[in-house]
Amino acid sequence: MPGRFVVCLTCAKDDTDRATVAFVVANAALGSEKETVVFLSIEGVHLSQQGYAEGIHEAGFAPLADLMGNFAKGGGKIYVCAPCFKKRALDEHNLIPGAVVVGGAKLVEFMGDACPSVSY
Amino acid sequence: MTVETDSDLQAAAEWDAGELGCGDLVLELRLRIAELDSGQILHLQARDLGAPEDLPAWCRVTGHGLVRATPPDYWIRKKS
Repeated sequence: MPGRFVVCLTCAKDDTDRATVAFVVANAALGSEKETVVFLSIEGVHLSQQGYAEGIHEAGFAPLADLMGNFAKGGGKIYVCAPCFKKRALDEHNLIPGAVVVGGAKLVEFMGDACPSVSY
Repeated sequence: MTVETDSDLQAAAEWDAGELGCGDLVLELRLRIAELDSGQILHLQARDLGAPEDLPAWCRVTGHGLVRATPPDYWIRKKS
């Protein structure tokens, strides 16, 4: 069942539970052979930085860094909201694998006319 | 993407969008393209971090032609 799937994530260390579950769901979509994008916006853009997710480990879940690493290895894409990234003065040279800084047009193109999504 | 020679890049309009990005960039871009005749080219300069991904995507979605992209410079041909 080919198709696309988007997971929107607005949290990072301010809500590690949501951040973790977002990547669990993203990996489920990827594992279901969906072309999957995690769209990081608001505080979520911090997760685009190498090393940031280290040490985040919710009880009952795999460590967030492992979840994110598996997502990237599986071919998942991470879109990072450009204005959110810029606002927080993050480092474009310190992006994790699979992450690319984009504006809204890139997300609009990916989602097309009909694309399932969940938001955390 | 078709590669065109420099002589094909005669721009009918120029726009330096500076650091404008995301929705602000493409909304203003839509208005600027609307002012052109079909086939005319807008030479755009956009320095936003997301522009190298966004502008090709915007062209694919809207059907306008991205004649050349050498960030921060982009040449966009209005669709017929």
